[in-house]
Amino acid sequence: MTSLAPEYRFFIALAAGTVLATAFLASPVWYLTIVLLVPVLAVLALARTRPDRGFYLMCSGMPLVIASAGMNIWAGLFGACILAGMVVSAAGFIESGEDMVIFALFCSGLFLVALLIELSNHVLSPLIIILGITGLVLAIHSVHNYQFRKHYSGG
Amino acid sequence: MLPRRCTQGLCILGILLLAWAVILDDMAVLFAGSTLVAVIVWQYLLFDHQLREIVASIEVRRTLSRNPVRKGTSLQVSSGITFRGSPRMQVEMADLIPATTTLDDGTTTIAARPGPKPRTIECTYRIIPLIHGTHNFSGISINVRNHFFEETILMTRPMDCEPTLTVLPTGLFAAPVSELADGTRDNRKASIWSGLDIHSLREFQSGDDLRHADWKISAKYDKIFIRKYTAPMSYPPLVIVDLPFVGAPFREKEFGRMISEVTGLIQQNIQTFQYVSVLIISGPNILHLIREERNGARCMAEIREWMHPAERTVHFYHMPDRSDIRSYTRNCESALEQATDPGVLAFYESLRNRYLAVLQYQRNPAFSGQVARTLSQILTTEAYFFSLGYGDISHIRHVIRPLKAQKIKVHLRIISTAPMADIDLLENLKKTVGVRP
Repeated sequence: MTSLAPEYRFFIALAAGTVLATAFLASPVWYLTIVLLVPVLAVLALARTRPDRGFYLMCSGMPLVIASAGMNIWAGLFGACILAGMVVSAAGFIESGEDMVIFALFCSGLFLVALLIELSNHVLSPLIIILGITGLVLAIHSVHNYQFRKHYSGG
Repeated sequence: MLPRRCTQGLCILGILLLAWAVILDDMAVLFAGSTLVAVIVWQYLLFDHQLREIVASIEVRRTLSRNPVRKGTSLQVSSGITFRGSPRMQVEMADLIPATTTLDDGTTTIAARPGPKPRTIECTYRIIPLIHGTHNFSGISINVRNHFFEETILMTRPMDCEPTLTVLPTGLFAAPVSELADGTRDNRKASIWSGLDIHSLREFQSGDDLRHADWKISAKYDKIFIRKYTAPMSYPPLVIVDLPFVGAPFREKEFGRMISEVTGLIQQNIQTFQYVSVLIISGPNILHLIREERNGARCMAEIREWMHPAERTVHFYHMPDRSDIRSYTRNCESALEQATDPGVLAFYESLRNRYLAVLQYQRNPAFSGQVARTLSQILTTEAYFFSLGYGDISHIRHVIRPLKAQKIKVHLRIISTAPMADIDLLENLKKTVGVRP
């Protein structure tokens, strides 16, 4: 028996979680999240051989994440984590236990983002914090990158 | 680190979502946009980690089919590159050949996927060195990519540029066979014959060859007398190389030709005379003297080291020497005798006085003395002077004049025929000094 590919497992988890969250939250537009699962499945099935499959999956999944986060931020967090897992596993990046640990770390970071958004009243303040932290990480990293290159270029 | 098409698309999508979130003040859209930013940063850090792992594990080992090698001849290079890392990354490695060589055959690029265990991949190719000297490999270029990012790193540490390729210059020049005054050619072959004429006689000493005994004289004086022979000896020509100034333009092709000619002459001298003397100058600066070198390899190593455009601490700036000025003065005086027009007379008188004033204060430059002292160490009957002929060539007179004074035949070889060379000055030089081009 052929085992299911990791991205399909993620999709099953996404579908189950979305249905459960929609039922639990009793959203008046409950059908929207269910309908938005269809494009994700369609892209998952149709773009199997495409080199930019990750991008197509992310594009098809983003409306679902927005709809879920519109119902409840934690439902959106669940959808975003599973979608990210689906994208990176489609690229072959989740295969071992070590990869799962890294994925769990990513989910923890996304949890902090969700918490920050939940605690904020307006878009601007969490956006500035998120972009500031991202910029800081990239700035520190660019210095390390420069030193790394310098070492290997014999400088 | 360059984002690939997928990541570029995600970046655009993320920016659009964040902009939408700001415009609509929608927290759900902000979360979706932040998710994209987080995914991109996550993949960026992951890619960087795996890239460092691969680059840190790389070891290069090159083997050359022969070293040293002559310029223009092909040699085979086998490169073994060992590396390990995540199998999700695609690695393309290019072995960078020395800048002064050209790829003759084979490919220097290898594409592979790393594994958790160290893996060695090999490539074999042939290169042709174009310029003599010692050259290192330029290192290796590593291109690593996955679905999201791509990065190229140039590894040029000393260990990545080994081994050093030693390229020997090639000889393309053969000096004409010199002729003696009586029309015969001297025999340059090494011979067991010790001489032609008897130089002296002396009493036999233990160890002397009895074949050299003069039996007639020995019978006369009742003692064994040994003949001491003498023979005409030919000296190898002195090779003088005038290197171009590093700060002035010159043509690499012509410089290469000059080096080839010099190398050829040196090789021929070593083969024929068993030794060679080379004087290396650059303008009015004496750089190096290779004096009576018998070891061909050592001589070639010195040539390889010195045969490059050189700095000139002293410049002559087209300076005529004292004999030139005297000649100009004589020309003025003869013109004065023939001139009748008062204007012309005044002009030549003024010119002569100017020359005489210059002659009064101008002394022979230090370079002339250095050349004379250097030449006094060398026994030779012929000299070959190689120069590109670019820029100021007034120093050539200061070399040729002492050679002519010692009755040394000079062959002036000016390589350049390009407009960069001062052709008129060269012609004048050849006529004035009376050298055979």
